[in-house]
Amino acid sequence: MSFTQQKEDKKAEELLVRDFQAGNLEAYDKIAKLYQKKIYALSFNLMRNQMDAQDVTQEVLLILFRKINTFQGKSAFSSWVYRITLNASYMKLRSKKKEPNISIDELLPSFNGAGFQQEKIQDWSENTESLLFTNETREIIKKAVDLLPEKEKVVFLLRDVEGLSTENVGDVLNLTIPAVKSRLHRARLFLRKKLSGYFGASNSKKGEI
Amino acid sequence: MICCKECIDLLYDYFEGSLDQDTTQSLDEHFQECPPCVAFLNTYKVTTVLCRDTLNQIEIPDEVRHTLKNFLKEHKNE
Ligand SMILES: [Zn+2]
Repeated sequence: MSFTQQKEDKKAEELLVRDFQAGNLEAYDKIAKLYQKKIYALSFNLMRNQMDAQDVTQEVLLILFRKINTFQGKSAFSSWVYRITLNASYMKLRSKKKEPNISIDELLPSFNGAGFQQEKIQDWSENTESLLFTNETREIIKKAVDLLPEKEKVVFLLRDVEGLSTENVGDVLNLTIPAVKSRLHRARLFLRKKLSGYFGASNSKKGEI
Repeated sequence: MICCKECIDLLYDYFEGSLDQDTTQSLDEHFQECPPCVAFLNTYKVTTVLCRDTLNQIEIPDEVRHTLKNFLKEHKNE
């Protein structure tokens, strides 16, 4: 999407929000339509459960409907919606018992005392094409993302999956830009290592994730 | 030569193109002489693409879409 297009979209969205704040219900329908997929996708990726994601989407759409006047336009409207979606998802997650995450440090790269690569690094980047579209691969990838610690996962979902800018992610999560970058980097390192166990070994024998 | 750890620490900024010229050059020089780091950077890059392409395919299932539609209709008439 071009920069001009993005600016146009943002303007159109601001207009919709103002119309709805002034009581125009059609504007609300449009906003709901624009956002319901984003809300559903983010909550589904956090919870990996259709019923829960549906509940959260309903709840968020309702909050948008009832609380639109509390949106003051200090940050982007999308940041506001994502923040509400995250809060609703976390509430839902907290009400369920969940398995403890593995420590991210275990999966960060290790170096020798002089700072050089210590483990054997396989380059499996060329192997992935044929594997990408199988269900098995998709499940492996989802499982790897599910294992990410919460702090890194949310940054990864907003930035790399939803495609928000680093600034907007900072805005949604109330984090500085360096903090966003460092969490995202850790998330990618973690996922790289996790996927290496699968793709790297898949030439000889299938690795377990 | 800068070490592997320094390179991997800077990988994010390297891909974003936000490093200064000298630093970018030292990374490039390191990569020319270090196959493990090249393997690392290739797989780092492809990991991001794989995960993104897998996770952003999520669509709202028809039955959920239906439920949401009814839900909204109901609540707008409150
Ligand atoms: Zn190296």
